[in-house]
Amino acid sequence: MDDNQNQRDVSRICVLAGQMLLQHGAESTLVADITRRLAYALGMAQVELSLSANAMVLTTIENDHCITTARQCPDRGINMRVVTDIQHICIMAERGVLDRQGVKTKLDALTPERYNRWLVLVVIGLSCAAFSRLAGGDLAVFLLTFLASCCGMFVRQEIAHRHFNPLLNFGATAFVTTAVSAQAILFDIGNEPFLAMASSVLMLVPGFPLINAVSDMVKGHINMGLARWVMASLLTLSTCLGIILAMNIFQVWPWLI
Amino acid sequence: MADLATIVRFLMALLEQGALAMIPAVGFALVFNVPAKALKYCAVAGGLGMMVRFSALQQGISIELASFMAASTVGFLGIYWSKRLLAHPKVFTVAAVIPMVPGVFAFKSMIALVELNQRGFSTELFTVLVDNLLKAFFITGGLALGLALPGLLFYRRKSVI
Repeated sequence: MDDNQNQRDVSRICVLAGQMLLQHGAESTLVADITRRLAYALGMAQVELSLSANAMVLTTIENDHCITTARQCPDRGINMRVVTDIQHICIMAERGVLDRQGVKTKLDALTPERYNRWLVLVVIGLSCAAFSRLAGGDLAVFLLTFLASCCGMFVRQEIAHRHFNPLLNFGATAFVTTAVSAQAILFDIGNEPFLAMASSVLMLVPGFPLINAVSDMVKGHINMGLARWVMASLLTLSTCLGIILAMNIFQVWPWLI
Repeated sequence: MADLATIVRFLMALLEQGALAMIPAVGFALVFNVPAKALKYCAVAGGLGMMVRFSALQQGISIELASFMAASTVGFLGIYWSKRLLAHPKVFTVAAVIPMVPGVFAFKSMIALVELNQRGFSTELFTVLVDNLLKAFFITGGLALGLALPGLLFYRRKSVI
């Protein structure tokens, strides 16, 4: 009976680690790898894992006895610090530094703490401004891009904070960003006003999901890759709807030339 | 000497591209909540990747192949750092290739898609849609494959860390 309890605890710990990895944007190979290694490190004889877009199923086998458990994995936003910390916990368990209780304590202590939002806002503004400079814009374009993407980032953070659907968030953010940067065209600011419009919405490109999607598919997790690819495409599409709405209001159509 | 002037101009442009690419690499690393001690590696990898791609583009190599070369440089660098910092390579490498993600191509094609519906079919809109979609698709594929290359070549049946 005691053995059974051990297996149950290990299954719960491992599925928690896998769930957190999947929620925070780790690629499928990494989720499967870390979950398996953690379970083997904590003494399971065999581990099987099945991933889908918003849930995972884990089976552990010990003494010919199976335990299967499923967890929902709703998206919590990309967070590489959580992924790194879980990887460290896994390595410590493998080296025998942490036992079952130690892993559980460490996992429970993980918080999805993020960087200061104002720091992120300013740096993302600078990033989009750097994009405009890379594309050949002058100082006026640089400044307007910075302003537009700072406004956009503010809206994005406010909406995300209130737990709205990400698709809605991206559309609204794109609308605000384009509404600000379209002034470049209306007032003919800078050498190439369109660059301000194009660069300021680049913060909404879902780069991480796209790259994860392709690497998942290459490494054999076709269904996960497709799910991520579709989500990234939908985010891009809703961004474009926001851009088009703003272009309709200000009656400028630089994107179509 | 005219050659020397050309080389100096090329090097200046190269450095500017690298320096500018460092900013978005760090910026998106902050959004992805990369741990603070890994941020400088994101910046260096981002700058280096952009410099590799810029040099390749200057040699007349296509943007897809140039992106692939840049991403595989970043990918191998990521493996090296990953072993030293005990973190998965994706922690550094994805933020580093973000400046090369074909956002403008993707947006142009999607906007053309919406306008095809709004205005009805026209060859111009359809050309914009297909051209930009294919570019975005192949560049993203090149970037992701480049990042996955070390795993596909050398870490086939074992983990990096």
